[in-house]
Amino acid sequence: MADIETIALVKDIDVDKYKYGFTTDIESEYAPKGLNEEIVRFISNKKNEPHWMLEARLEAYRRWLQMDEPTWAKVDYPKIDFQDLYYYAAPKGSAAPKSLDEVDPKLLETYAKLGIPLKEQEILAGVRKQGEKSELDEEGSEYASGKVAVDAVFDSVSVVTTFKAELAKAGVIFCSISEALREHPELVKRYLFSVVPQGDNYYAALNAAVFSDGSFVYVPPGVRCPMELSTYFRMNAKNTGQFERTLIIADKGSYVSYLEGCTAPTREDSQLHAAVVELIALDDAEIKYSTVQNWYPGDAEGKGGVYNFVTKRGDCRGPRSKISWTQVETGSAITWKYPSCILRGEESRGEFYSIAISNGRQQVDSGTKMIHLGKNTSSRIISKGIAAGRSDNTYRGLVSAHRKALNARNFTQCDSLLIGDECGAHTVPYIEAKTSTAQFEHEATTSKISDDQMFYCMSRGLSQEEAVALIVNGFVRDVLQQLPMEFMAETQKLIGISLEGSVG
Amino acid sequence: MNAAIARTAAEEALGFHLPNRRMEEWRWTDLRQLIDKPYPPRQKVEAKGGDVERLLASSPFAGVAATRMVFVNGEYDAKHSKQSNAFVESTAALDDPVNLMNVAFATDGARLRIEGNVDTPIEFVFISTDASPRTVATRNVIEIADDASATIIETHLGEGSYLANSVTEIRIGHNARLDRVKVELESHDAVHLAHAHVIVDRNAAFRDFTLTAGAKLNRQNGTFRFIGEFADAKVSGAYLLAGKQHADTRLVVGHEVANCASRELFKCVMDGHARGIFQGKVIVRPGAQKTDGKQSSHALLLSETAEFDAKPELEIYADDVACGHGATSGDLNHDHVFYLKSRGIPEAEAKALLIAAFVGEAFDTVHHDGIRAALEDFAARWLTERRRKG
Repeated sequence: MADIETIALVKDIDVDKYKYGFTTDIESEYAPKGLNEEIVRFISNKKNEPHWMLEARLEAYRRWLQMDEPTWAKVDYPKIDFQDLYYYAAPKGSAAPKSLDEVDPKLLETYAKLGIPLKEQEILAGVRKQGEKSELDEEGSEYASGKVAVDAVFDSVSVVTTFKAELAKAGVIFCSISEALREHPELVKRYLFSVVPQGDNYYAALNAAVFSDGSFVYVPPGVRCPMELSTYFRMNAKNTGQFERTLIIADKGSYVSYLEGCTAPTREDSQLHAAVVELIALDDAEIKYSTVQNWYPGDAEGKGGVYNFVTKRGDCRGPRSKISWTQVETGSAITWKYPSCILRGEESRGEFYSIAISNGRQQVDSGTKMIHLGKNTSSRIISKGIAAGRSDNTYRGLVSAHRKALNARNFTQCDSLLIGDECGAHTVPYIEAKTSTAQFEHEATTSKISDDQMFYCMSRGLSQEEAVALIVNGFVRDVLQQLPMEFMAETQKLIGISLEGSVG
Repeated sequence: MNAAIARTAAEEALGFHLPNRRMEEWRWTDLRQLIDKPYPPRQKVEAKGGDVERLLASSPFAGVAATRMVFVNGEYDAKHSKQSNAFVESTAALDDPVNLMNVAFATDGARLRIEGNVDTPIEFVFISTDASPRTVATRNVIEIADDASATIIETHLGEGSYLANSVTEIRIGHNARLDRVKVELESHDAVHLAHAHVIVDRNAAFRDFTLTAGAKLNRQNGTFRFIGEFADAKVSGAYLLAGKQHADTRLVVGHEVANCASRELFKCVMDGHARGIFQGKVIVRPGAQKTDGKQSSHALLLSETAEFDAKPELEIYADDVACGHGATSGDLNHDHVFYLKSRGIPEAEAKALLIAAFVGEAFDTVHHDGIRAALEDFAARWLTERRRKG
C-alpha cells in the first residue's frame, strides 16, 4: 500500500524538485563576519551564558586553531574560507519569545510552508489524527497521541518550542540549549562535552567554539516521554554557517524518541552546517534518534548546496541501555556524518539504520561506529545507499570490540544500489575484534536495479519512474520501517523526488 | 613520509623511511614500531654445511614431484636447482614501500617464461640460513605466454633473524592459465614483506593461494589487474598463526575492463596473542560492466587474546555489476563442539576437526592434488603441535 502512495506522491511533484528552496525575507541581526575570539565572546554574551561556558568555548576555539581539516573522507570540495562566514544570524526580535503569540508571523508562515505548524492544537502534516489507526501499525502497538513537540531553530536561534508545559508535567525538560544553559546549568555542565569533547575533531571543535543553539532534552528516571520530540532546523541567512548543538539525556529507565528535520533555501553559494549531537543513555534507558536530512543539495552542476559536516555520538553509559540512530540522507551537497554508539554499559545495544540517497553531483560519505566496551553488548547496522546521476556514495564504518567486551555481537549489512553508469558506490568498513568471544558478521552488496524487475513492473503498466520508485522503496524497506510514523510518508515521497530524472 | 622525523635504528640501517600507521594502508601494521632492530641490506652470507639440505627437507612440498629453483640467502643456487633462469624483464612500476625497498636491494630472483602446457609444478624455494640479522630481497618475474599453462609454488623457509623482501611480478597472456601456491614458513624471528603484482589478460584464468604460518611479522600485498575481458581470478589464503605472530594481507583487485570475475576467500586462524589482518579492496573502474566480484574473509580466534582486523572495501564506478563482500570473526561454535563430543569425540580432537574444516575450505581452491594434500598435512601437523603445546 505504501508503495502505491509513493507513486501517487511522486506524480504530484512539480518540476521544481527542491520545494524547500524558498527564502524568508526577514530582517536579521548578524555578528561581524569572520571568526576570532571576539566572535566567540559575542555569541556567548548574546546567549547570557554562565562564565564556565565561555571558558569552554574559548578552549575549543584555541584547540581548533591548532587542528587540520580532515581530508580522509571520499569527498571533494573547494577549501572553505572560515573567515568569510557569518557565525551568528538571528531574526530580529527573536531573543526570547515567551509564547507563540510573540513569534514573528513571518517565521510561523515559513514553518507552516515547510509543513511544520507551530501551533499546539495542530499536528505535523502527514501525521494521522489522534486515535486514527494505520495498517502499518504493529500488532498491539501503542501509538496514542499523534502529538509532536517541536523546537524550531531558525539560523542561529531557537524561535519557539511547543508543548513545553505539557512535557513539564511529565518532568521532561525540552528547550533550546541556550535556555538550558540559563535554567539548568548544572545538568548541562555535567553532560555537555562528555560524549563529544571540545577537541574531538576539527568540526566538533569549531562547533564547540561557536555553537549558537540547538535542543536540550532531559528525561527523568522511569519516564516514558509522552510525545515525540522534534527539532526543525532551517538555514535562511546568506553566507551563514549553522552550528547547532543537541544534548539528550535519558535518565535511568526512561525512553525518548527524537526527530530531526532540516531544510535550507536554494542559494548559489555553498553553506556550512557543522552540528554536534550528544546522546547519553543511563541504566535501562532508551533513545531513538531519527533524522530526515534534506538540506539544499545544490543544482545539477553541483553549484551551491549545503556542506553537512556533523558529529553525532551516543553513549550507552548504563547497563541495558539502548541507542538507535535512524537517518534518511537525501539532501546536502556534501555529507560527512558518522552517528556512533559507545557501548559502555553491560548488555547495552546500539543500532544504526540508514538510507543515503545521492543524485546530481552530491557526495555522501556516511556510516557509523559501534564501539563495544562492555560485556554482552550488541549492535546492528543496516545501511542502504543509492547512488544516481554523477554522485558518489560511500559507506564508511567501524565495528570494534575491546578486549574486555566479552560476547560482543554485531551484524552489519550494507547494500548499495547504482542507478546509471556515471555514479559511484563505495563501501569502506573497518572491523576490529580484540576478543575471540566477539562475534562479528559483515556483509555488503552492490548491484543495480535488474532489467527483469523493471520489465516486470513496466509490463504491469507502471511507468519507468513509478517502477524505479517502487523497487527502491522495496530496497530501503528494512530501514523505512524503523522510522517513526511522522517521517515515513515524508520519506517515501522524498525518495521519489530525489531520484526523479535519474532513469532514462 | 615526512623526512623531518628522526629515523629509527632500523630505518638508519636500511636507509629508508618505513611505513607507519599514519598511512591508511598501514594503519594496523606500523613497520616503524614493529621493526625494532636493524636489518642492514646487501650482506653477503654463505650458508653453513647442511643448512640448505635440512631446510629443503623441511619444505611441505619436499615429497611433491616438482622442477625446483633454489635461492639461498638471495642468490641462485645451481647445485640444488633443476631449472635455470630465463631472461624476462621486470616491467611493473609500483610506488608501494615494499616494492621500493625491493628495487633497491634485490640481488636475484626467479625469471621464467612459460610456453605451452607445463604439467610438472615448478617450485621456487627461498632459503635464508641462520646468520647475522640482514635484509634479503628477491624479485621474481613470471610470464605465461598466450595459451600456455603452469603451476608454480613459492616456498619461503628460513632460520635465524632476517628481513625477507619478496616481490613477484606475473603477466598472464590470452587464454593462459596459472595456478600459484605460496607458502610462507619463514623463521619465527623473521620479518616477511611481500608484494605480488599480477596482470591478467583476456580469457585467462589465475588461481592464487597463500598459506601464512611463519615469520613473527608478515605483510603481503597483492595487486591484481584485469586488462582483458572474460578473465577470471580466484585469490585465496589461510593463516595459521600462534604466539605473537602478526600477519597483514592487503589485496587490491582492479577490474579495468568488462566481463571479468574475481573471487577472494581468506580463512584466518589465530591462537595465542596472534594478530591477523585482512584488507581487501575491489575497484570497478568506469566501463567495467558485468563485473562479478565477491570477497570474503573469515577469522577464527582460538584464544581470548588473539585479534583480528578487517577492512573489506568496495569502490565501484559501474552500475551493471554484482559485487559483494562478507567478513566474520568469532571463536569456535560451541554447539558444533558439543555435537561432536556427544558422539564420543574428545574435546581436543573435536576442536581440531572443526579448525581443519574451517581452513580446509581455502585449501580446496588449490587444483593440484599433491600440493593440496601437502597443505592439508601441514595444517594437521600445525594443529597437533598446537594441542601438544596447549
